Amino acid sequence: MKTIARLALAAAALVPAAVAAQDPPRTFVEARGSVKPVPLPPGGPTPRLADGRPDFSGVWFPGPTGRANAWSVVPDEPVKEDPIPFQPWALEKYNAMTRTEKELFANANVQCLPPGTPGMFTENPYAIRLITKPGLFVHLIENNNRWRVVHTDGRPHKPAEELEPLFNGDMVGRWEGDTLVIDSISIDTRTWIRDGWFHSEDLHVIERLRRPSRNYLEYQFTIEDPKVLTKPWTSAWRTYSLSVNDEDLTENFCTNNQQVEQLRKLIEVEKSKGIQR
Amino acid sequence: MTQTIGIVFALAVLLAAPAPAAAHHAFAVEFDAKNCADVTGVLTRVSYENPHAYIFLDVKGGDGPTEEATFQLSSTSNLRRGGATPAVLNASVGKEVVVRGCASRNGERHRYAASFIKLADGTVQRLGQDVEGIFGTKIWR
Repeated sequence: MKTIARLALAAAALVPAAVAAQDPPRTFVEARGSVKPVPLPPGGPTPRLADGRPDFSGVWFPGPTGRANAWSVVPDEPVKEDPIPFQPWALEKYNAMTRTEKELFANANVQCLPPGTPGMFTENPYAIRLITKPGLFVHLIENNNRWRVVHTDGRPHKPAEELEPLFNGDMVGRWEGDTLVIDSISIDTRTWIRDGWFHSEDLHVIERLRRPSRNYLEYQFTIEDPKVLTKPWTSAWRTYSLSVNDEDLTENFCTNNQQVEQLRKLIEVEKSKGIQR
Repeated sequence: MTQTIGIVFALAVLLAAPAPAAAHHAFAVEFDAKNCADVTGVLTRVSYENPHAYIFLDVKGGDGPTEEATFQLSSTSNLRRGGATPAVLNASVGKEVVVRGCASRNGERHRYAASFIKLADGTVQRLGQDVEGIFGTKIWR
């Protein structure tokens, strides 16, 4: 009994601050992050390949700072995009998931699964290295040491009878002026467009990449999915910036993923408490 | 280092208007933004791995026994680039540190997300997401 009391006391001492709502805040926190969100200058003209097309080669970070910006001192500006044009049944399915269920079941990074297309760009907070050559686009992704290689010579997709579901899809590339267009079909339905946004086997993703100046890369994607959406949906342009230190990608393998078990436990807790969807 | 430590602000002002954390990829799903505290203890171990690094503290509650607390950090990519390298963290192993932690929402005892650590030498390092939204900073796992 004495032991239980002591344990309870210890537990009480460890219970964090909410218990002391009336007390003045007593956090020691003094840091406000380490990255000042100073956007890079344009940096000069777009580098070009031997064939005159833009050269995307370099190490890139999401955002405008040319650095890993996870510790930015200011919040991201929310991207303004149209609502997802779900068909009614799809909207119902989407809305039926709790926030925790979306995090666990519909988020490739939480599951350490391949994020697919366009997730390779949009679900990746870390550095990427792009290598472009005439006719070829190489995308090296630090997160989980992923990669893709796309021919950019305008070749067609594989014939329908040769297609199989792939996490990244069957990808082909072509140039529209200075914009590289990557067209993907046959994408595995175990990927998501983003948290909770599921897709059918008829998903068609059109990605667009451009490099308006030396220091900046811009990315946009269109989702066509006639079995799930009422019409195609196009994202806002997202900004990436050239690493100011030309950093190397680091090894990053997902080998000790505790989130799945933790979130499963949380779902059980929420169910037992009757958490509203 | 000065950039990492940042400037000392009036804490009351900092906490006066906590912005709600964005729901996108948030530790805030897994951890309780309203149940956070400064946890003091002896840093026993640094586990530098992906998708998340962990640190472990021996925490003493009053006259009670010492218990182990687990803190989930960001990825090694973010930690290295933010300054919390293995050497920086390991230098405090065996010493007393203070960690800003938010408790797990699934009720698991002594499991937290860590946002900051005050190391044994008094320097402060960012360790993970700003679950509380104290700074309204970018939310990435």
